[in-house]
Amino acid sequence: MDSTAKTFALGTKLMPYLAILEHDLRALWTSRLVRLWLAATAVMTLLLAAANWAKFQDATLIASLLFPYLVFPWFFVVVVLGVSPVSGARAEVLADGILSRPVSRCEYLLAAWSARVLLVLGVYLVVTVPAVAIVTLAKRPVPEDAVTLFGIVSSLGVVALVLTFLVSLGFLAGTLLRKPLLAAVVLVFVWYPIGIVLNAFSLEEFSPISLSRAMSTQLRQPWRAADAEARGKANAQDMEALARQMDHFLSVFSNGQPSPAAKPDFFEGGRFTDFSLLRVILGYGLPTLMAVALAMVFFHRRDL
Amino acid sequence: MSVTEAQAPAAEPAIRTEHLTKIYSQRLIAVNDMNLQVPRGSVFGLLGPNGAGKTTTLRLLLGLQRPTAGRAEVFGKLCGPNAVAVRSQIGYLPTNPKLPEDLRPIEYLDLLGKLSRLPGEVRKPRIASLLRDVGLLDATDQRIGTFSTGMCTRLGIAASLVGDPPLLIWDEPTAGLDPSARRFTLDLIRELGKTKTIVVATHILGDIDQVCDHLGVMHEGRMIFTGSMQDIQRRIGREDFTLELEGDPENISRLVREAANLEGVEVRAASSVPVRVSSPEVSGLKCEVSSGDGALQTSDVKLPTSKDNGTVLVRVADGRRRARALADILQLVDACGLSLHGVHSGQNATENAYLQLLQEDEAHGFHR
Repeated sequence: MDSTAKTFALGTKLMPYLAILEHDLRALWTSRLVRLWLAATAVMTLLLAAANWAKFQDATLIASLLFPYLVFPWFFVVVVLGVSPVSGARAEVLADGILSRPVSRCEYLLAAWSARVLLVLGVYLVVTVPAVAIVTLAKRPVPEDAVTLFGIVSSLGVVALVLTFLVSLGFLAGTLLRKPLLAAVVLVFVWYPIGIVLNAFSLEEFSPISLSRAMSTQLRQPWRAADAEARGKANAQDMEALARQMDHFLSVFSNGQPSPAAKPDFFEGGRFTDFSLLRVILGYGLPTLMAVALAMVFFHRRDL
Repeated sequence: MSVTEAQAPAAEPAIRTEHLTKIYSQRLIAVNDMNLQVPRGSVFGLLGPNGAGKTTTLRLLLGLQRPTAGRAEVFGKLCGPNAVAVRSQIGYLPTNPKLPEDLRPIEYLDLLGKLSRLPGEVRKPRIASLLRDVGLLDATDQRIGTFSTGMCTRLGIAASLVGDPPLLIWDEPTAGLDPSARRFTLDLIRELGKTKTIVVATHILGDIDQVCDHLGVMHEGRMIFTGSMQDIQRRIGREDFTLELEGDPENISRLVREAANLEGVEVRAASSVPVRVSSPEVSGLKCEVSSGDGALQTSDVKLPTSKDNGTVLVRVADGRRRARALADILQLVDACGLSLHGVHSGQNATENAYLQLLQEDEAHGFHR
């Protein structure tokens, strides 16, 4: 009885969030942009798979299928989808229709952000998961490849994380800049040269191109690559490397003398063996959370 | 009445603002040091010309905008962007509401019901009932994008009532409506005013006259008057009736002369109120308006009138029975051979008082 009452109270508490989520998902799904994107991404995946069907091994082919999501051109669609919720003419409908009701701005933003992330990931997974399954299961006229389930899941997850980050970045820009077109243009100018920017901070392993190049290696990673001790050591190394990167990042801002950044083997040998899932998750996850938090702060202070 | 409203002290006004100020980008003062109290259970008219700051005030109450200084409270709770408890007490109808065009009315109201955290068993019947009440039952299968202005306003009204809030804030509810839709809206305000506190922001004096019992006048971001309708009408000459007559001007003068013999009744041939004429010409008239202290001032004005039409103002002294006084005057009208076209009771007093308030506010200059 008590647990039923608690469930009911939680359901009531979450009702506005779920209502906005449902409404936004439906509105996004009926938009031309999303439908065109879904069609275009399906066609491009089909073309890439067909063109390289007899050329690439599994890992390389799957990595090529993921390339458009990481580098070009789908980032632009993802960013535009993230920009729209609280900018332009939509803000007026939003104020009149939703934010004048008993809903906090935080609830609204979280629901709108979740809707965009779910939609983007939905479109991405709906197209890539069947394509990856076909590529790995089909008999193709190429040598056998050692692609693992863990490798596939982690690679798809990394791309999903980058897409989530892009949605959040668009979200933040849409909150800061009231004009959606301006926000989209600013983001394009920020995201295109991101490799150069990351290079300046010795963070090039996080650039979309580096990630894309590392995908085929990651796809071949087994779940238990080493024993627990080795993994513990690897995690410690990851954290050390992350701390070094942060130190370098901050020293660029503070105009101090950065310690010479050790270039990972990642780039040198082209084998990408020190690709660290943990560092990538932290490297994209933390900025994603920060972007959402900043969007909330700015939106809270904004007049509608 | 909601539980929250019932729990609040009875003396607590529905809305209270203290030194509420809103300045946009350090350039435009939209709301200027406003102190306002809206009594519970009142139908409060927020009156002011375009750009006076009415809508900004309402948006500050809803937490859609943040005050630059001062504070606003609704039923004793502080307003702000995350003041969910405040907004749960308010049903808001914006001017020409912008509604999601891709939804149908039931879907839209259902969404709003969920935002108000209403369980399905309460929400569904209420939506059906509201759609019937606002006359949109026949339009439930249409998308909102196909709705006319009047239909959007009706749906906006239903939307403001979904959560059954104790306070309704309606911003220009009759804007862009045809006469029948306007009549419907005003009747609804009167009906709802029996159980709820209602704030109606408008610049249409007729609406205020018909439905409001309290009034606040805004000008250039400031509240220049608040009080009951009687208060504002007392500010101007207390002509209780306006008679529209047709006949020889000499006979109208005779009526005025003979009415001077009636006890407790003062009759003036004047045109301080809008003159309704069948064939307007321009002629010189003496126009009487009252100053702030109630004294009458006379000035030459040119107003359209006809030699066969006239308007007389009838003022009934305190203590004299209004019905008896009117009967006496009507007898005189008949005796003077005049045709009576209309009798209006204090209808233009609010308009005159309002215009006078604005004029005084302009004239005060630095004293503001």
